Amino acid sequence: MRVITVCSLEQSYGSLKAVDGVSFEIPRGQTLGLLGPNGAGKSTTIHALIGLLKPDRGEVRVMGGDPWHAETRRSIGIAPQSLSLYEELTGYENLSFFARTFGLSGGRLRDRVGWSLKFAGLEDRARHRVDTYSGGMKRRLNIAVALVHQPSVLLLDEPTVGVDPQSRNHIFESIAELKNEGLTILYTTHYMEEAARLCDRIAIMDRGKLLALDSVAALIRQHGCASQIVAEIESTPSDVQLPGQLIEGRIQFACDRPLEEVARLSALGVQFQSLQIKGPDLESVFLMLTGRSLRD
Amino acid sequence: MHVVHLALKDLKLLFRNRMAAFFILGFPVMMGLFFGMMMSGMSSGKRGKMEIAVIDQDNSRISARFIEALRKNENINVIADELEHAKESVRKAQRTGLLVIPNGFGETAGFMWELQPEIELGMDPSRSAEGAMLQGFIMQATGELIGERFNHPQDFLPHISKAKEALMTSNTDNLLMKQVGGAFFDSLSHMIESADKWQRQAGTNPDNQPTSMHFANVKSLDISRHIDPSSAEAQTKKIRTRWDISFPQAMLWGVLGSIAGFSASIARERTSGTLVRLQSSPLSRMHIMLGKALACFLAVILVISVMLVIGLFLGMRPTSFTKLAAASGCTAICFVGIMLTISVLGKTEQGVEGVGWSINMVMAMLGGCMIPVMFMPAVFQKLSVFSPIRWSILSIEGAIWRDFSWSELALPFTIMLVVGIVGFGIGTSILVRRTTV
Repeated sequence: MRVITVCSLEQSYGSLKAVDGVSFEIPRGQTLGLLGPNGAGKSTTIHALIGLLKPDRGEVRVMGGDPWHAETRRSIGIAPQSLSLYEELTGYENLSFFARTFGLSGGRLRDRVGWSLKFAGLEDRARHRVDTYSGGMKRRLNIAVALVHQPSVLLLDEPTVGVDPQSRNHIFESIAELKNEGLTILYTTHYMEEAARLCDRIAIMDRGKLLALDSVAALIRQHGCASQIVAEIESTPSDVQLPGQLIEGRIQFACDRPLEEVARLSALGVQFQSLQIKGPDLESVFLMLTGRSLRD
Repeated sequence: MHVVHLALKDLKLLFRNRMAAFFILGFPVMMGLFFGMMMSGMSSGKRGKMEIAVIDQDNSRISARFIEALRKNENINVIADELEHAKESVRKAQRTGLLVIPNGFGETAGFMWELQPEIELGMDPSRSAEGAMLQGFIMQATGELIGERFNHPQDFLPHISKAKEALMTSNTDNLLMKQVGGAFFDSLSHMIESADKWQRQAGTNPDNQPTSMHFANVKSLDISRHIDPSSAEAQTKKIRTRWDISFPQAMLWGVLGSIAGFSASIARERTSGTLVRLQSSPLSRMHIMLGKALACFLAVILVISVMLVIGLFLGMRPTSFTKLAAASGCTAICFVGIMLTISVLGKTEQGVEGVGWSINMVMAMLGGCMIPVMFMPAVFQKLSVFSPIRWSILSIEGAIWRDFSWSELALPFTIMLVVGIVGFGIGTSILVRRTTV
């Protein structure tokens, strides 16, 4: 079953086309990573998914319903990039307030708030005000609030920005746990290794268009460029021409067959002090698709 | 139910912010007490006495009797003084005024047919309004001198002799008139001597003490309702305690603190991202706005209630609690509308706070939060009709001490409700449009 369906989504702000004909689907239990530089159209797509905007054209469906309708939004949980919490309230109060906005009450409310606190690892700080929490604790609570009403779809917008390695690891493990439980997740991030680790498929957007959508391996296969070789050279025969420029005894170059190239240079008498071969990865795919020019 | 939860959350947030809580409750209480103490002389029963320096240049029994009559007046504090020192004291505002009793005052004062001696009165220019009141008190004291003259009939004898002598030495040829007139004055003198003798004899018996005569037995009547009711004098006559004016003002300071806090909270929700979270819940935008409106409404009612309780403790006694409740409700509706409008005038919390307090201060100054409208210059009184605070204070005062009827309250109530509804409409429509990406 397709939990999220985005079909030919278009949205403009004045003359700026923020989203231009984007289409994708996410089946139940799958995690889709949405990558793109700033201004790619990720936020607009997410706003359409949570019913914050009515798109100019196209269709958005979550669990078969229009997110513009309140009933559809009951199945969606969002953890926005900004820490969307009331700092003067405690962790418990934040969770129970947002749970109430989804109609939870009584025993179910208590159960879900308790589960969420455990999920975020904040049981012992539940009665403390959020403004006394560390950045990592706030991030975890931000995700827990998105889950307190037990949604079918979780939208995570940059969930690990500014957190320490321990909290980041806790978040990764928690998301993996949610995946195993069959939750459908849309994950936006700028960290490629996070996307590669957590997502079943990756969608790369730029300038409002969807440039690629596939598994990490398939994307690398389709769009990955040559491998990179980084080497420290001990000595080179004078008649040997190196494939890159030697700077302070160090050389870096790209090639399609790195092992064969290293063997060739070695046979010519080049002596390596250290050698590193880096295969194509998601970052190189991303840069290849979106370019290297700086964005706003 | 959702709206109530939203409102309770907002109230919790507001009162956990110590600075906001201070501006909503602490600051208004301080203002109420401060201005109340400043206005301590305004309540009708506790008006400060006029400090009047009296220079007695006559030093007669009658001038002493006149001063004694003035001393009996509870509105005047009579201080004997020298002329130059008294003038200096009035100039320095140490005395309200000065009164000079001239030489010869005792000879003619109290004889209605004689030319009355000229009493000089000097007033502190800043308190000239009280000069008219003092003239009235002087008339009252002079009246007592007439009674004093009748209590001492022998005082009339020199005047009768003088009148007879004038008649006898006149140039008239009418001998009959001189004879009849002379006989009349003799009889009158004889009658007064007999009366004086009888009075002195009767004076030994306590039961026969002569009753003192008074020019008039004056009793003060509250006629404030029959004079121009818009005049400050008329209005201040109704004030019963010093808190009657300061507490309605203080309530409005609390109301302004509330709307400043709530208007900024809407911007804060937007910038912090909690608004996105609320909008992604099943709540409608109208729910969210109504939640804010209810929270602000309850905060305003709470502020007014707290101030009322403190006022009651200090002695403020509203003439009608029902009317006060209605005035509070209309005030809350009015300022909820204003809060929602202010909340759309800036995009950031700081922007909204800046714009909000600017508008609040102008409304406060014009509306009588600082200086009561009745004490403002005429032009500012006219301008104050544009401030909702004026109508709010007027309606609250109407229920506390002005003793307004429902028909008198209808105008301020209507104005406040219209402002509230229009403000709610403007604020909500812009906010809903703005929060729809």
